[in-house]
Amino acid sequence: MRCLTHPLLRRLLGLSPLCLPGGVSQNKGPILSPKWLPLRQSCSARPGLVTATDVVNYWQKVFEASGIPEARESSEYIVSFVLGAKTFQSLNSKSLYTPLTAVQQEQIQQLSIKRLERMPVQYVLGEWDFQDLTLKMRPPVFIPRPETEDLVSLVLEEESRKCEKNSGLCFPVPVPHPVILEIGCGSGAIALSLLCKLPQSRVIAVDKKEAAVDLTRENAHRLLWLRAGSDSFSFLGSAKQLLFWGPIDFIVSNPPYVFHEDMACLDTEILRYEDLDALDGGDDGMRVIKTILALAPSLLKDSGSVFLEVDPRHPDMVENWLQVHPNLLLVLRAIHKDFCGIALSPL
Amino acid sequence: MSIPGVFYITFLLRDIRTPSWRPWILRKQQFSLPGVPLLQAAGKNSSFNLLGLTEAELKEQFVRGDGPGGQATNKTNNCVVLKHIPSGIVVKCHQTRSVEQNRKIAREILQEKVDLFYRGEDSDVFKEKKASEKKKQEKKRKAKENLERKKHFKEICPRRVRETFVIISIHSFQTNR
Repeated sequence: MRCLTHPLLRRLLGLSPLCLPGGVSQNKGPILSPKWLPLRQSCSARPGLVTATDVVNYWQKVFEASGIPEARESSEYIVSFVLGAKTFQSLNSKSLYTPLTAVQQEQIQQLSIKRLERMPVQYVLGEWDFQDLTLKMRPPVFIPRPETEDLVSLVLEEESRKCEKNSGLCFPVPVPHPVILEIGCGSGAIALSLLCKLPQSRVIAVDKKEAAVDLTRENAHRLLWLRAGSDSFSFLGSAKQLLFWGPIDFIVSNPPYVFHEDMACLDTEILRYEDLDALDGGDDGMRVIKTILALAPSLLKDSGSVFLEVDPRHPDMVENWLQVHPNLLLVLRAIHKDFCGIALSPL
Repeated sequence: MSIPGVFYITFLLRDIRTPSWRPWILRKQQFSLPGVPLLQAAGKNSSFNLLGLTEAELKEQFVRGDGPGGQATNKTNNCVVLKHIPSGIVVKCHQTRSVEQNRKIAREILQEKVDLFYRGEDSDVFKEKKASEKKKQEKKRKAKENLERKKHFKEICPRRVRETFVIISIHSFQTNR
């Protein structure tokens, strides 16, 4: 950031001091010169006019010069967002070469300044997609990772497998209303995805942090078809109270599973902005995993399952731990190596 | 048993309307079933009769970052590169910000391209393209025709110039004597 106005950098980037049209001059950002914004006039249609492609290229170079990871991707997401699209590839060719308005350029600049502070793109844009849902994102609530989309798919597969089994009976079985408990809901990605795909289900989303609960609630209300049939309350106490809606079919979680010793190596984006409690799993990364597993038998139906996203080292560790705790009567059923999730069920 | 820490139960979500959802199975585990055709009813391809693709024929590449994956990283590059090994066709999809969606769309696009590759003019994809091109041309032709017709009409029926009338009234000043 400090380096952007450095004359050496400008020379390095081959930037000519061309003025951007419009009122960028009002900005007194900490990084960029308030007077003008240098912009290379490489493939722009006419002098003084900048296209989306120009701006993406420009900010990519700025990000690269400042050591921002995923410079190209960040730049593309920001510009696409301001143009009302999800990704650069999804913009039609007309948008790519239409000159940007001054307002748009200003918006892009404001967002890019945040990115220059190593803010994750999802927080910069204030939203992100999880499967086919667009969810609001807000620091420090944990940002859903792409691998977790696989976790949701696995739960759905299991659910449909159960349905098939039921329908194989010779007498009619009522349509199941699975009760699903998500532990550590964060922004609500898993809970809301499951609810969208299994509209007959009942989903209980739980989190230790009020910020996460608030964000999940907000995201639920944004998905307009979810009516306000939502109750919300807080409590301190026994897990048995979770059984208000009956024994549970699925417990799903992406619990904090990072080994404590690995925490310091995390990217700056994560360390600076995300809730580290959503990541730190203790010395062996199993602290919360063990809590969930210890809880499961008293909550699950006999036919129920626990689905957890874990570290690649955990499946063996979980298996060993379960052998040492036979009283839990849980068995590790499946390990999905794609993204490293495990499925467990009662013996 | 009691849980350490405070749990806030957020809410019980109850859906009222039922959005439709078509089960679409795509798992790497199905490598063990090479004969199982996939993409039977995948999105917009369900109205077409396309050659099925199996996961065994596909090679997928998407960047999820080096080192520990999952929680420990926050990569935003969700671009999916999908190759159909027998034909060598490669599709790159970055239409959405979700990896799952991009994988889905990549397969749809790849299935169309592969069908076109093997079936050529017999492919539903080809036929649809031809039909839509024809429609476009027809539309253009009709528009042109309409324009010509309008021009012609103007030539044979020029607009009349409106004449301005001045009305004067003449009063008689004859008086009855």
